[in-house]
Amino acid sequence: MLTTPQPSSAPGKPALFSWPAEGIARAPYRLFTDPEIYKLEQERIFRGRSWNFLCLDVDILKASDYRTTTIGETPVIVARDHDGKVHAMVNRCAHKGALVCLKKQDNVASLTCVYHAWNYGLDGQLKGVAFRNGLRGQGGMPSDFDVAKHRLQPIRTENFCGMIFGTFSEEVENVETYLGPEMAQFIKRNLGRPLRVLGTHSQTIHNNWKLYAENLRDSYHATLLHTFYTTFKVNRLDMDGGIILSDEKWHHLSFARRAKLQEAAEYSEAKVHSANYESALDGPELLHAWEEFDDGITHSIQTVFPNMCIQFTLNSLAIRFFAPKGVDKTELFWIYLGYDRDTEEQSQRRIMQSNLTGAAGLVSLEDGCINEFVQRGTRNDPECASFMEMGGRVAESEKNSRATETAVRGFWQGYRSIMGF
Amino acid sequence: MPIVIEKPVTPSSGDQYREAADLISSYGHAMDDGEIDLWPQFFTPNGIYHITTKENHEAGLPIGIMRCVGRGMMIDRVKAFHTANIFEPHTYNHIVGYPTLSCDQTTGWVTARSNFQIVRIMETGRMDLFATGKYLDVIQEEGGSLKFMERIVVLDSRNVDILLVVPL
Repeated sequence: MLTTPQPSSAPGKPALFSWPAEGIARAPYRLFTDPEIYKLEQERIFRGRSWNFLCLDVDILKASDYRTTTIGETPVIVARDHDGKVHAMVNRCAHKGALVCLKKQDNVASLTCVYHAWNYGLDGQLKGVAFRNGLRGQGGMPSDFDVAKHRLQPIRTENFCGMIFGTFSEEVENVETYLGPEMAQFIKRNLGRPLRVLGTHSQTIHNNWKLYAENLRDSYHATLLHTFYTTFKVNRLDMDGGIILSDEKWHHLSFARRAKLQEAAEYSEAKVHSANYESALDGPELLHAWEEFDDGITHSIQTVFPNMCIQFTLNSLAIRFFAPKGVDKTELFWIYLGYDRDTEEQSQRRIMQSNLTGAAGLVSLEDGCINEFVQRGTRNDPECASFMEMGGRVAESEKNSRATETAVRGFWQGYRSIMGF
Repeated sequence: MPIVIEKPVTPSSGDQYREAADLISSYGHAMDDGEIDLWPQFFTPNGIYHITTKENHEAGLPIGIMRCVGRGMMIDRVKAFHTANIFEPHTYNHIVGYPTLSCDQTTGWVTARSNFQIVRIMETGRMDLFATGKYLDVIQEEGGSLKFMERIVVLDSRNVDILLVVPL
């Protein structure tokens, strides 16, 4: 067990924990199981200098709409006030700390805590306190009680491409700067027009949230674990593609182009299980796709540190948001999107292709268990570490190959920096 | 001499309802017995199988968790189950309530709603309540037996534990 630093201490290396000398090509297993590290992450990442995905602008389209979500494990309300302005605040009454909003979403004139009926505006300002002046002259709040001094703890928000982000940090730069130019540009490509939600669900995965963060950045495993791709020749490492990392290395974009699909000798020689299949679909309409963009990119996965990702698999556009629910449990949300401008036929294709991902995704369902296998395999050996040297030992963009762990190392580089490890 | 009652030319709705209820229960039994290869045969060639959540269903949102249109896509699911997808082995046990049935006199289609609870049994012996919800079925006769034209599986919860690979 490492010792927790004093609450007032600046980020620094906690006692008894030191990163292996090999650096970001190793991740000590303790990072996935230690409750003290998990607690520090809540403070230094989720309540620190990060922008966190809260919800979509279209989720709270009308005045008085609200949604609930979490930043790390902190419960959060996102609401649109009567003037259309978006506010985010901690979902915790300023009186006794009870949750104020219990539903996933609603439309309400104001927010009222059920416990003692403290009432807040949609901006989180306290408006009324029940029995403030007592009853029949008895009881009531002290005369110096000031409603202006009590409110729901505010969270800074920003709308970027229809996504509402929130942060507890006053210092962090705006979202676009946080993303960096290359990341921001690709998000604009994918989300920079009116969006339509086509469906949502979630999946409980029994692993630390960082194992899923690694998994999303791990382009090495894509065609080895997810063999549906190779079975039906949807995606192969030999497709033209690459990895771009942001300046801090903690966001990444992995992309592939379909045009140069060809049989790679390495697959047949290695006799890896990904190559042993027939290639015909009995229901080929599953993969009926159209080229939406003229850059030739047909598949992309883009992560935004700490815990979200945008996927564009053929025409299947989705946001994945993975919320930590304890040191060894994560809820993975799937938000399937289309554009307002989509034709009926385009919507139908997105609907069909939604079969590729999600809790029952033909391509992605293995990710529901693989990270748990790592969690179970590593939990008794916190002092051991994973080995990640595919494609080198540093974190740099790699524009010609996806047989690399560079983006995973990039995650750890960013993580070490924000955690002070 | 036993009295032989001639079978009516058109089955009474009672017969049809019993057959529909049989279809619904044999489907669950086949899945529980690991007969996933039979799964597409429970549907008409253009049959629709759709798993979604109550939240999506009530909001009229088209994307849920799994969607097959036609037997071809179901056969691909079965093939992926056998050869492509990777998961910890597990089985289900379906408890399906008696369906509420009605029959469209013009088309002869039976619509049915039944509630279900599905327990998932892992190889380690762990048993969990994996899914609860309702089946919304449209059932039609095809080649002398009843088949699902449409089976919408509406899950009560938005959340799936670990993954979903065997049809519900």
